[in-house]
Amino acid sequence: MSADNEDRIVERAAGLARDIAPERDLWPGIEAAITAAPQRYRRRSWFAQAAAAVLLVGASSGITYVAVKNDEPAVAIAPDLLFEKTSFAAYELGPDFQDARSRLAVRLEGELERMSPETRKAVEDNLALIRAAIVDINAALETEPHNVLLQELLVRTYREELDLMRRVGGLTQEVMNRNYGSRNDI
Amino acid sequence: MLQTVDARQHGAELSKSPTVAEDDEAALIVRAQQSDPQAFERLYRRHIDRVYGLCLRMTGERGEAEDCAQEAFIQAWRKLDKFRGESAFSTWMHRIAVNAVLGRMRKSKREHDRIQVAAERETTVPQALADNGELRDLAAAVDRLPPGARHVFVLYAVYGYSHEEASNMLGIAVGTSKAQMHRARRLLSEALDREGCGT
Repeated sequence: MSADNEDRIVERAAGLARDIAPERDLWPGIEAAITAAPQRYRRRSWFAQAAAAVLLVGASSGITYVAVKNDEPAVAIAPDLLFEKTSFAAYELGPDFQDARSRLAVRLEGELERMSPETRKAVEDNLALIRAAIVDINAALETEPHNVLLQELLVRTYREELDLMRRVGGLTQEVMNRNYGSRNDI
Repeated sequence: MLQTVDARQHGAELSKSPTVAEDDEAALIVRAQQSDPQAFERLYRRHIDRVYGLCLRMTGERGEAEDCAQEAFIQAWRKLDKFRGESAFSTWMHRIAVNAVLGRMRKSKREHDRIQVAAERETTVPQALADNGELRDLAAAVDRLPPGARHVFVLYAVYGYSHEEASNMLGIAVGTSKAQMHRARRLLSEALDREGCGT
């Protein structure tokens, strides 16, 4: 071997193809991710407004609140709660997740009924955005079931849905505590 | 004057004549920065082959390259507001793609060197098929280089970046980049001699 040989290798390398077309169109996966992302940001904004509204309404008018125990069994699944495919190559959303989702959805239904129409609409709009994103991502996964990015995005979106439902529950609990003292006093 | 200022002026002017705007990358960037997914898709169509090519050369495995390319464009979308036009959009995309590759390789290292295992499993080097016949031996040899040497060789010898640019992209010292290039040249020469391909 020689330096000349090595130089020729470098010269030849400049002739290797720089542009290589992927064998499949990668855009659908990218599109699903980038169109879902802004919805999440908007959602947080909406949620912040909803949270503020819940606290404001609770503090000023003293809404009537019936406590929902944490260990209360789920008796029904909210009618608009969708259970899409929750198992992929790298992820599995097990029965505990689905159970938690059902419980929170049932609690949320009760909590929504106690909210003002404006607050309720804000929360419902947020949930609708998240659930629309879940449907979109699932649709994208139908064509790209092994797309890890989409799988991760789906799991994150499911978690955000749970988080929103928990936070709405937590906020109404906080309002209740402000108006009626600690939970144990009720 | 930064390119982004020009781009914004372009965008404002060209919005009156959409046929010109469609061919103007600066206008597409401005529209994408304003959260227009269609403009971003056009940027994707323009750059995907170069970005995917880089990812494929660096990872040596089609599935990983697809994931890296997708991740690169998703990251680009999220960081578009930070693109100021100091470099060409293609160079900016390459930096993000290199980061995506390095990030996935670090992750894969923790997951049993998945990229390497996958690369070794491949009997047909996919990117070699994109090269003309006499270069396929070289493409296959490049693919078998150790990652550090391969990354520098791909950026420097295939994509024409300087050692300063390559080292900056890879987050290594310029001296390390030069040492890896030297190593890559030697390993490639040995491999091609061994296979009787010569140069």
